[in-house]
Amino acid sequence: MSLKYESQIREPLVYGNKTYHQVTEDIVRPIEAKPTKLWYVGFYTAVALLLFGIYSVYREVVYGVGEWNLNKTVGWGWDITNFVWWVGIGHAGTLISAILLLFRQGWRTGVNRAAEAMTIFAVMCAGQFPIFHMGRVWMAFFVMPYPNTRGPLWVNFNSPLLWDVFAISTYFTVSLLFWYSGLLPDFATVRDRAKTKLRKLLYGVASFGWTGSTKHWQRHEALSLVLAGLSTPLVLSVHTIVSFDFATSVVPGWHTTIFPPYFVAGAIFSGFAMVQSLMVVVRKVFGLQDYVTIGHIEAMNKVIVLTGSIVGIAYLTELFMGWYSQSKYEGYTFWYSRANLFSPYGWSYWGMMACNVLSPQIFWWRKMRRNLFVTFFMSILVNVGMWFERFVIIVTSVYRDYLPSSWSVYYSPSIWEIGFYLGTFGLFFTCFFLFAKYFPTIAIAEIKHVLKTTGESYKENMGDYEKVSAEEFAHKYAH
Amino acid sequence: MEKKYWQSFGELNNSEAYQKSSKNEFKEDLPFDAEKGLLEAKTPRRDFLKYLGFTTAAAAVAASCEVPVKKAIPFANQPEEIVPGVANYYATTYVQDGDTISVLAKVRDGRPIKIEGNELSPITGGGTSARVQASVLDLYDGARLRFPTIDGKESGFDAVDKAVIDTLANAGNIVFLSSTINSPSSLEIIQKFLAKYPGSKHVTYDAVSNTGILLANEASYGKRAIPSYRFDKAKAIVSIGADFLATWISPIEYARQYAKGKKINDANPEMSKHIHFESVASLTGSNADDRYLHRPSETGTIVVALLSALKGEGINGIADAKLKEGIEKAAKTLNEKKGEALVVCGSNDVNIQIVVNAINELLSANGTTIDWSSTNNARKGIDADFAQLVEDMNAGNVGALIVLDANPVYTWGNIDKLKTGLDKVKVKISFGSKADETTQKCQYVIPNHHFLESWGDAEAKTGHYSFIQPTIYPLFKTRHWQDSLLKWSGDNNDYLNYLKIYWSTKLTGANAWDKALQDGVVINTSSISTTTAYNAASLTSAIANIQPPKTGIELQLYQKIAIGAGQGSANPWLQEMPDPITRATWDNYLVVSPAMAKSLLKIDLSNNGQSDSYEVNPSKKVVEIKVNGKSIELPALIIPGTHPETVGIAIGYGRDKKMGKTVVDVHDKPIGVNVYPFAEFINNTVSFDISNVELKLTDKKYPVALTQTHNLYNTSQGKRTEVVKELTLDEYKENTKVIIEERDKELKPFGGIAKFKEEGSIYKPFDKPGIKWGMSIDLNACNGCGACVIACNAENNIPVVGKPEVLRFHDMHWMRIDRYYSGDANNPNVVFQPMLCQHCDNAPCENVCPVAATNHSSEGLNQMTYNRCIGTRYCANNCPYKVRRFNWADYTGSDSFPNNQDELNNAVHYMNEDLTRMVLNPDVTVRSRGVIEKCSFCVQRLQDGKLKAKKEGRPLKTGKDGEWDLKVACQQACPTEAIVFGNVNDSESVISKVRQDNNRLFYSLEFLHVLPNVNYLAKVRNTEAEA
Repeated sequence: MSLKYESQIREPLVYGNKTYHQVTEDIVRPIEAKPTKLWYVGFYTAVALLLFGIYSVYREVVYGVGEWNLNKTVGWGWDITNFVWWVGIGHAGTLISAILLLFRQGWRTGVNRAAEAMTIFAVMCAGQFPIFHMGRVWMAFFVMPYPNTRGPLWVNFNSPLLWDVFAISTYFTVSLLFWYSGLLPDFATVRDRAKTKLRKLLYGVASFGWTGSTKHWQRHEALSLVLAGLSTPLVLSVHTIVSFDFATSVVPGWHTTIFPPYFVAGAIFSGFAMVQSLMVVVRKVFGLQDYVTIGHIEAMNKVIVLTGSIVGIAYLTELFMGWYSQSKYEGYTFWYSRANLFSPYGWSYWGMMACNVLSPQIFWWRKMRRNLFVTFFMSILVNVGMWFERFVIIVTSVYRDYLPSSWSVYYSPSIWEIGFYLGTFGLFFTCFFLFAKYFPTIAIAEIKHVLKTTGESYKENMGDYEKVSAEEFAHKYAH
Repeated sequence: MEKKYWQSFGELNNSEAYQKSSKNEFKEDLPFDAEKGLLEAKTPRRDFLKYLGFTTAAAAVAASCEVPVKKAIPFANQPEEIVPGVANYYATTYVQDGDTISVLAKVRDGRPIKIEGNELSPITGGGTSARVQASVLDLYDGARLRFPTIDGKESGFDAVDKAVIDTLANAGNIVFLSSTINSPSSLEIIQKFLAKYPGSKHVTYDAVSNTGILLANEASYGKRAIPSYRFDKAKAIVSIGADFLATWISPIEYARQYAKGKKINDANPEMSKHIHFESVASLTGSNADDRYLHRPSETGTIVVALLSALKGEGINGIADAKLKEGIEKAAKTLNEKKGEALVVCGSNDVNIQIVVNAINELLSANGTTIDWSSTNNARKGIDADFAQLVEDMNAGNVGALIVLDANPVYTWGNIDKLKTGLDKVKVKISFGSKADETTQKCQYVIPNHHFLESWGDAEAKTGHYSFIQPTIYPLFKTRHWQDSLLKWSGDNNDYLNYLKIYWSTKLTGANAWDKALQDGVVINTSSISTTTAYNAASLTSAIANIQPPKTGIELQLYQKIAIGAGQGSANPWLQEMPDPITRATWDNYLVVSPAMAKSLLKIDLSNNGQSDSYEVNPSKKVVEIKVNGKSIELPALIIPGTHPETVGIAIGYGRDKKMGKTVVDVHDKPIGVNVYPFAEFINNTVSFDISNVELKLTDKKYPVALTQTHNLYNTSQGKRTEVVKELTLDEYKENTKVIIEERDKELKPFGGIAKFKEEGSIYKPFDKPGIKWGMSIDLNACNGCGACVIACNAENNIPVVGKPEVLRFHDMHWMRIDRYYSGDANNPNVVFQPMLCQHCDNAPCENVCPVAATNHSSEGLNQMTYNRCIGTRYCANNCPYKVRRFNWADYTGSDSFPNNQDELNNAVHYMNEDLTRMVLNPDVTVRSRGVIEKCSFCVQRLQDGKLKAKKEGRPLKTGKDGEWDLKVACQQACPTEAIVFGNVNDSESVISKVRQDNNRLFYSLEFLHVLPNVNYLAKVRNTEAEA
């Protein structure tokens, strides 16, 4: 009996009669086999998108931000909308890895690897926008506080954009370390099974000389906990700081104290939706249904309905405050520019409401939570809704702000603005396809860790313990 | 054998131990294997950071070296009187057709770069207009003709002179055709020329003439002249369609006078009353206290009704109840202010103007508000003279035509007849400085100088002389037209000599000529108004001849303040200047009323959904306009303040391609449509009021580049009175503190006005010692004319972006004039609010910039550091006044990416030609792509002014005792002195006094606690409170 006993009533986290070897076989198989046709189709599509994105960005860098349809009133549009959207998506990974690790949620093991990878790729995509939305991107290094010969001239520590620089880069670094340290034992597994020289070399380098010694495991566990401890506040801080980009401004619709919790909830909401979209596909394609079980899916759907309702409350609170504050300017933004379906951007607000607040309520029904099609459809819907949310916040606030004289013409993106966004999809999926092909998509070591307590075949053997009374069990096993 | 020295036996024997120890003598290895060489070396782990640091630094250095080096050539010998970097100012005169404005040209290193008003001129008092400000750009117009031509082939002056003299000798009747000339010396030269060629005559033709007034005055007063109108003396002003603040006769002068009557202060809360009757919303109508709308064809009936109402004989023939009420009100107001009342009318109908003269007689205006001591020489053309010329040409009675400035091929309505006539004229000579429509028809073209290259004189009003002196050597092979005439009439003097001789007899005193040139103006008239004898004989027949109003839809052709009769159409600054009324650029369009929009365009502005979609989509519905079988298509803009059954179209568009890159769009098609062919020559005058108009909605759409789409500050969630404040005179008189009280109420939650600065924030306010710059804008004096906008463009090198970019809301103007409507949706009150960077003490743009590219100076300026800006645009988003402008593309050619202006439009290309770039102000950085820019309060002028005071060892003066060390560009250009700028920490500066003395003072969006340094004085309207 290991340290942990889990009741049979709980759903197993790993289905089937799995041995440790079987687990390794199942997860490493895709790495060692040739990619399927489907993989190639997906990968090249992603690369094509990426190339289109690169061309779009090239145009923007050479000809200017005027390649986009932003204007004197709407200074941010799709660029920052996409930035916030990707950063939001990048939240689930850390939440699953760090907070659920600290809370000892065993079910995270099935999805954490992919979720973390997704986080890293999403943050990479997110980072493109604040960089390339700059008018003079070749001067982007000005945002770094480093000793210089210009006075020295320092950055403006009052600016939320600068906080973003720190928040995002820290988040990216910690997430990357966390993800990579988790990968070490699994890389070593792949290395040990390698039959070609090249694979042995590459995975050998990647696994940093992991031998699986007790010392290694001890340090690994300690590092995981430390990084989990470090990243836990980051889960809350990153999107809080992103929300400060808006909350600390004077623009009606942006200047809102509710933003930090509202943004964090929204980020987790969209992050989980993205994990769902990916995992529903990956588990099917790689035959990993035993590891990413319907129970995992259901757990994440519960998070989605919870966070979806939190953002729903936030939306209603904003509307209420728009009226209760009796500020003409806030009132106009919330009640005319947004809540009025017939105003120029009314569609985006109601699109957001429908996707983010109304539709996730379907997950109050267990049947729906455990339905793969519903889950996949909903996960897409939620991400569309969350994109609308950022668009609503950014564009509908700023396009009609204080001076009616400056109210904007209708802003819609140019082909190069859309191209940039598509390009980040290309980047994301290029990375994700490579990840799925060359990295163990499920944390082998961690699955093995929970296998003997929560694996289906092992749970069957728990019958004896189930019969023992709780008092006796405690007396016997819980020292 | 070589002798060997050794230190040990090991060395001597070269033992193995010795070899090892000598190899290890230096304990530290070099970071690379000495035998393999440096290039083979691996990067040791410990050096990783060093390499990283080096490469990062190298990349940073490489990235910083972006600006291509451009060559500058120094003077080999420094010219006298030119100190590099110091501007010289020369008094000269802006002359454009009859418009004559005394100006100072600012010349930097031999290039005129900016026009300022000449404060010595009593007519303008240093005021200018948008067109005057923009005229410096015309000097550097690449489309100017560069040499004389015969039949389109380049020629020399001598060759042309010879050819012309030969042909003129037996050409028959010669006609010298010009627009109004008011240069006394030139008129003498013309007379000389006419004397030399018997049978020749001088015909003056103005595209938009004042024939009606000239002939009416001949009938009523025996003088074919325009008197001086004294709007400053008028307490009651009634205008029937005269757009005297924008385009009518002498708008700068009138605007200045008008503002005097409108300026108001707490001690004496009185102002003039202006009632305006018009058909299509105009600048003057928008400034009026009360505006009434009528059909263009009703003008005559209105003046007759007004006359009879003034006599107390009641009003006849006015069907519209509101209009009738307006006439009654006008009559009542005028009667109350007899002797201080003035009625003006924009009609070109002689009979109507005779009735207007009778009205003014009745009001004792003659000698008070109408001054005959000095008459205005702006317009002398009589339409019938030109019509006769067309007849003569068709009859083959004109042997030679010499054209100066007039451009009838473009501006004459009956174009076909004119063209056939022109074809019959054997010799055609043009002095056109550009290949305009008429010049293209001439065999001999001797391009004239730009006024900044010329010598000359002008007499704007009798006795008000203004001098022209060159500020730059002629850029091209051009010549004074006077030189040509002198030559052709056998005079050996050149024009400069002639001018000197001419004036030597008129000016008295030593150095009088030099003094006259230096001052630019000589005044030789009394300032006392005089009357002239009135003759009522023509009145009865005039009334009898007045046409009754027509029915159906009518069209009025009007002039835009920037484009005029077409003079501004090739000037990109003027094209890009938003029209004060429509806020549109780069096009003409059909102006329709909201009522007609509903019936014709199917757009109901009172419906939020429809008005939103009309506003946010730049593509406007296209309407087909049909008059007398001629038909054109134009997009329709809905402009309240327009009569429901009248539409308006601006003249001055649809120019020929040869006028330059800026008169065509990206597809090389002319911008806008020429509507002069609609003008009718009836009753001996040209009329721009056209009846029997058919309008048909097409299913096409056409994008119009508007810079402002929303016009109301009253929103569905409340009236945004924090943005702009206006009130009626009665409200103000009742309590002059009403604005202060309103502000105090707004700020109550944050300590009221008194403590707002401290209690509005959790941070302590900073002490602001030394100089603190501030600006005050009097919304009562501002009439929205836009002179400041163009002055700002010229002063601050503001890029022109062209129509495709304005359409995308990418206009770059640092200063704009917001225009808001309030009240009646069909005939609203209009308020103009110049909007520029407010230089907030607590600027929201500053704290959001990640790289501190925008920051605060110790003198209260909100500064932009262009070379620090990385272009996140966060500051622009966070600016509540939306005054920050981003360089979306490489508008100025200051970028290091080659060929990245390819995709921009011809206006940008035009502004980037080497020739055009000569207009750039070297004191102001040209901004590169990707950075934000905005009003700097003309920081270059502030530095200059401070230096001046410092050199003289005294404190800076901004209006103390009437002395100014500096004025900002918009302030200096303003004809009404609506803008005051200065040091607010100096209690004797004008700005401090304005702020102390005016209870109308408010700050826009004050409650935000951004603490702006620009204040406004609320607009007071002399009208009844709204119901």
